[in-house]
Amino acid sequence: MTPGHNQSFTAREPAVLPSLRPSRIASVLVLAVAVTCAQGQTPTPTEAELARKLDQLAAELAAVKAQLATLQQQRAAQAAQSPGTAAQTAQAPASAASAPPGSAASAQPPAAPITAEAAAAGGPSTVLSGYAEINYNRPTQQTENAQADLRRFVLGMQHRFSPTTKMVGEIEVEHGVSSADDPGEVEIEQAYIEHQLGRTWGVRGGLFLIPAGLLNENHEPTAYYGVERNFVETAIIPTTWREGGVQFVGQFDNGITLQTGISTGFDINKWDATSTEGRESPLGSIHQEMALAKARDLSLFGAVNWRGMPGVLVGGSVFSGNATQGQVPTTSRVTLWDAHARWTPGRWDLSALYARGTISDTAALNAPLVGNPTLIPSAFDGYYVQGAYKVWSRQDYALSPFVRWERFNTGKSYADLGPGLTPPALPTETVWTAGANFQVTPGVVVKADYQWFSVNKNSNRFDLGLGWSF
Amino acid sequence: MSGFTPASNSVVVTLTTALALAPTAAFAVDYLSADEAAKLMFPQADRFEPRTLAFDAEQLQRLQAAGVSPRSARWQVRVAQRDGATLGYVVVDDVIGKFELITYAVGIGSDGAVRQVEVLSYRESHGHEIRLPAWRRQFVGKDASAPLRVGEDIANISGATLSCSHVTEGIKRIVTVIELARHAGSLA
Repeated sequence: MTPGHNQSFTAREPAVLPSLRPSRIASVLVLAVAVTCAQGQTPTPTEAELARKLDQLAAELAAVKAQLATLQQQRAAQAAQSPGTAAQTAQAPASAASAPPGSAASAQPPAAPITAEAAAAGGPSTVLSGYAEINYNRPTQQTENAQADLRRFVLGMQHRFSPTTKMVGEIEVEHGVSSADDPGEVEIEQAYIEHQLGRTWGVRGGLFLIPAGLLNENHEPTAYYGVERNFVETAIIPTTWREGGVQFVGQFDNGITLQTGISTGFDINKWDATSTEGRESPLGSIHQEMALAKARDLSLFGAVNWRGMPGVLVGGSVFSGNATQGQVPTTSRVTLWDAHARWTPGRWDLSALYARGTISDTAALNAPLVGNPTLIPSAFDGYYVQGAYKVWSRQDYALSPFVRWERFNTGKSYADLGPGLTPPALPTETVWTAGANFQVTPGVVVKADYQWFSVNKNSNRFDLGLGWSF
Repeated sequence: MSGFTPASNSVVVTLTTALALAPTAAFAVDYLSADEAAKLMFPQADRFEPRTLAFDAEQLQRLQAAGVSPRSARWQVRVAQRDGATLGYVVVDDVIGKFELITYAVGIGSDGAVRQVEVLSYRESHGHEIRLPAWRRQFVGKDASAPLRVGEDIANISGATLSCSHVTEGIKRIVTVIELARHAGSLA
């Protein structure tokens, strides 16, 4: 649709549409019927006249309806290429985008920019997205613990208010059913406004994912190898980790992306020394997810990522803030940092990551908790190296076996509480994961792997998963 | 406001200043116009002749057989010319990244090989690195016989797989369309 078409349609619209409004047509008919009824039961010549007129009106109405349908079709076709209209599917603009070269064929030269212009104006303002994971875990030593789980089902929505401002939202249901008697959770994973300030800088405000590691911001099942997310980016970096605040994003022409901001942080008062949750993921057990988050102490964060060479990503992040939130006299700072790299030459996909977290002044916090199974660690860390290779592909199908080696420790050290009271450091767990991702079509993946644990050998397990993302 | 410390005041001032100084481009994500891209690709051209390629059913089937979804039977091409001689072709197209349209231009030499790729508009929150020369240079010299697939001859950008794949598919489609048109004599 050329701009010329646009104008002529808009100009014509007011002239035609008012006389075609269904409500007006209905009024005319109601009036006609009312007049008919007012004439009483006795047939008169006037009534015959009216009946004839009614027939005439009905015929005209049919014609008008046809005209209206044509107009609506035209309008829908135009809406597919203009912004600010109702939600459309992501596919619509793709096909619409291909239409302009053809429809612009008879337009005045130069015709090519029309495509670009139509596209600039033509993206749908609201786009739905989603991803899901359905997993089966079967510990081979303890088959009674085998489990099938709709791990997560996520609906995402993005709405563009203007070329520079959009909303990004994601709602997630975990474990299939969420109720007082069921294990599921319903959560808002992201809800923020992003506003582009210029070519380089944008600003986000709301609930957003913290830029940390390789997975946190790219956590869809199609984006990683293995049925389960790796342990380092689950136990040490509490993926999917989000906070509420303000974030500036700078995308530079040298391939560097800089993200920095101020946000809510952790609440160390949530630490449950009687539960093992803190051993599974120290930060996962005290994150707040903006659910009435204690916000006296805010955190600062920053991340640098370089993607200046095709297939290469090198980066790091840091997040730091007080976590006692004024609830206890102690001030305890939680800091988490990571360094990561990924290289995807040809069919290879190689990555490595190190993450380390520290919690300060834990002695004062742990003192009243002594005797409980899980005290607050002063340090925890982990790293992994992973390699995948696409061995086979045909059309959309692709098979990529992978191997991952990871070591992590969620209680690497504890602050000194005196002899006999200081908990010993936990043993460092080593996990080997070997398996394959099978891409059915881009966006749909079937995964299978086996995981060997060096400490917790009873956990050795076979995993099978189905995931999708769009 | 009386509770504000000098430190927090200075933060507010800094942020306000940063916002005030930020450029306010209407389309912050538009980098080039199609005209500019065409001139960049063929600086020696004295004319860009707009041409519409219309494919018949049989040709569309051949595109399909070549593993390319034709998407449209009509394509708008700018033929770069100098003194009446054809230097090459420029095609402007859009693909969906993850959520949004990416507008890009492909310059193809008269031999059918990619000469240059330019990203005209990019609106996604991630993956703006496809704009970087290093990523775009991967396409230079490739013609319809190249695989043109991410994870084969085109390297991915971590975190922007969909943008990379869709632009790569788009370029493959354009290269194949031009190849078909050249062989059919529609670009002579």
